[in-house]
Amino acid sequence: MAKFHPELDLLTEYAAGSLSLAQAACVAAHMNYCEQCRRTAGQLEDLGATLFDSLQPETVGDVQLNAVLARLDDLPPLSYTKVEQPLAGQTPALLQRLMRGNFADLAWKKITKTLSISYLSTGDPGYEFALYHIKAGGKIPEHTHRGSEMTLVLEGGFSDANGSYHQGDFLFREPSDVHAPTALQSEDCICLAVLDAPLKFTSWKHRWMNPFLSLRAG
Amino acid sequence: MSEQQGNTNDQWKAPSGRRTDEWSECLTLIAANEDRAAFTRLFRHFAPLIKAFALSGSNLSATVADELVQEVMLKVWQKAGAFNPEKAAASTWVYTIARNCRTDMFRRLQKFDTPIAADDVCPEQEGEEPFSQLQSRRNRERVREMMKELPADQAQILAKVYMEGKSHAEAAGELDLPLGTVKSRVRLALQKLQIQMESYSYG
Ligand SMILES: [Zn+2]
Repeated sequence: MAKFHPELDLLTEYAAGSLSLAQAACVAAHMNYCEQCRRTAGQLEDLGATLFDSLQPETVGDVQLNAVLARLDDLPPLSYTKVEQPLAGQTPALLQRLMRGNFADLAWKKITKTLSISYLSTGDPGYEFALYHIKAGGKIPEHTHRGSEMTLVLEGGFSDANGSYHQGDFLFREPSDVHAPTALQSEDCICLAVLDAPLKFTSWKHRWMNPFLSLRAG
Repeated sequence: MSEQQGNTNDQWKAPSGRRTDEWSECLTLIAANEDRAAFTRLFRHFAPLIKAFALSGSNLSATVADELVQEVMLKVWQKAGAFNPEKAAASTWVYTIARNCRTDMFRRLQKFDTPIAADDVCPEQEGEEPFSQLQSRRNRERVREMMKELPADQAQILAKVYMEGKSHAEAAGELDLPLGTVKSRVRLALQKLQIQMESYSYG
């Protein structure tokens, strides 16, 4: 059970369909692990439907109706398609699709001794969508953000000054939040990170890396 | 079956919580017999709302709005088999399809090249348990009632966020308000409508 969730305003943007694609994909991946947020999103969608129902209707003529009826003939016969319910603990289906394989098959770019990054392509030009692999007990150098950062724990866990996070936990960092996450000692940690600007390492030892961490959106 | 026991004003049959309103019935008929008369009834009710949704706060032409109406209604036909009247409310289900089609359309118009469709990320509501639909219906009735009492500035923000599909930041820009003000108005509105996270631990 996830303990850390997106805030209500993020869920509202998600339910209203106004969240950017990359961020919405991260929130959706959290919901794979979190029934509580699925339910809240359901309530927020019900609110959307209430607003939708009370719109001032626009005129739509029979020409439109007939055009649609004519197009029904071209469609394949209806077949029942069940929406797949997420399986507890499994990597979200959408991520599996973007990864086209397992974590081990991905191309990982080594950043430090303990941190590797693999970039996935969502097509969203505004956000970098990447998997972070931190070796058990490994530390990500202290960094701030020039933009926001969403993090979702997929495997293992990590901790920082504020707490420790496990599978399904979701974090949203605003620009200028400084943190230095450390993977749990017991196992490697894999996280999904969605950034709208590159990380900026604060410690002098790692500052040389900043140019290498330019945003890889798309 | 114990329909006759029920209050005729009550569209609900306890205890299964099964919904018998006209729109879910239409969807069920489409799924069962490809019923075009049922589809026509749905179309006459929802198409004008979908068109209004397409045009709200956007500069889409009427032609593009009509295309969206067609796309949404075709999806409704195709997906009718996945609609579960025990679990989801018909209008919420149609709304989520309309929302997703509009998102996909905006992305297409912006030449946004992505392998992900909006319904990969925001699938239609399936509901979690037998009673969620009853709950959902109660929520909706409560929300509809309380919406009338919402201060104009909060109602305006909700319309921008939901019907115009604007992010909080975009809404702030258009209304020339600080982002914090937009967020707090949304938060106050949700509070009044009693929409909240259950057992919330941290954000
Ligand atoms: Zn959650």
